[in-house]
Amino acid sequence: MKKVKVLILRTAGTNCDYETQMAFELCGAFAERVHIDILIEKKNKIFKYDILAFPGGFSYGDDIASGKILSNEIKNKLGDIVKKFAMSGRPIIGICNGFQVFVKMGLLPDPNVFEQVSSLYYNDSGRFECRWVYVKIEKKTRSIWVKNLPEIISLPVAHGEGKFIPKNKNLLKVLSKNNQIVLKYSSKDGNIPKYPLDPNGSSEQIAAISNPEGNILGLMPHPERYIFALQHPNREGFDSKYGWGKIIFQNAVDFVK
Amino acid sequence: MNFKIEILTKKCFENSRGKNMLSKIYSMHINGIKKVEYSPLYVIGGNISFDEARIIAADLLSDKITETYAIAESDQHCKISSPILSMIEVWYKKNVTDTVSESIIKAVKDLGISKKFKIKTGHKYYLYGRISKAVLSRITTKLLANTLIQEYKIIK
Repeated sequence: MKKVKVLILRTAGTNCDYETQMAFELCGAFAERVHIDILIEKKNKIFKYDILAFPGGFSYGDDIASGKILSNEIKNKLGDIVKKFAMSGRPIIGICNGFQVFVKMGLLPDPNVFEQVSSLYYNDSGRFECRWVYVKIEKKTRSIWVKNLPEIISLPVAHGEGKFIPKNKNLLKVLSKNNQIVLKYSSKDGNIPKYPLDPNGSSEQIAAISNPEGNILGLMPHPERYIFALQHPNREGFDSKYGWGKIIFQNAVDFVK
Repeated sequence: MNFKIEILTKKCFENSRGKNMLSKIYSMHINGIKKVEYSPLYVIGGNISFDEARIIAADLLSDKITETYAIAESDQHCKISSPILSMIEVWYKKNVTDTVSESIIKAVKDLGISKKFKIKTGHKYYLYGRISKAVLSRITTKLLANTLIQEYKIIK
């Protein structure tokens, strides 16, 4: 059977690359951590991979704003190939800092446009928020990443700039109409949450979005930190061993197979 | 020529870093301040033209959705006539490493501007409320500036 290959892009300040690698490898993929300088030197190397992952962390120290310097670097030096990879329909995931990079370079919500039309801005609290929260999977989502999950799962968040802000109200309507909203922060029973379960004050409680086709996922929570039930504060999960975050990675690996 | 770039949160969005600072001021049991706004500051010097400074401000230093920017010749300040507004600028002291500026120099090259230039980063706080000079000084030295490595300028 084909071994699915995953490229995990890292740079100075990336700090969730090992966990992301482990999550994909647990799902049967071969995952490789590649420094951005290597990819800039050999751009076409990207097409040797089936899945592209932008892990969490504090790229370039989050200087200026979270993900800003990396998004600027990718847009100007790798924009053409990242867009081509995205348009090929291959799965791409941006977790936390990776999601911030996606929206700031315009890969999300629509790589066809490839312009920034939304942002992930400072949390309403004005400070870093780190805790387990509940997220609700939107029923109509076309994302290939969130199949086979219960309606509500818990995932950890850890960010200072996670408040999703669209350029205007019309964009929210478009995201909703195209079923691009993937996850929303939720209370345990599926209602609209209040702080601290709503960690940042995002528009419409948005925690994750996809492109219209559903192969690109950007999310603020960290599924790679919940691949084992043991990682959950109440040891919850499935098959008495795994965490629900594992399913997210498994979905992409199975999609490629 | 040096250009001073100030990044401003658009009025329709909450200045959450200012709000967070206000809660810290309240935690010091100081009640005269009603609102705080925060703006990052940058001074770019060297061969950078005004147009290049504008590109750097628009494409790199500010967020296209939530922020806007103002560019002035360095050390120009707007005059404040309001008795309830104080402005404080905080900058690193000379010889203190400014790591953010090093990242910006890399990012400006990524933008395609290859000229040599220097940049320094700072912070600006707008404090709205009636407070004495002594209280303002206390807020500044206890909360806004780390006087070991930073210097501040109160503009009032």
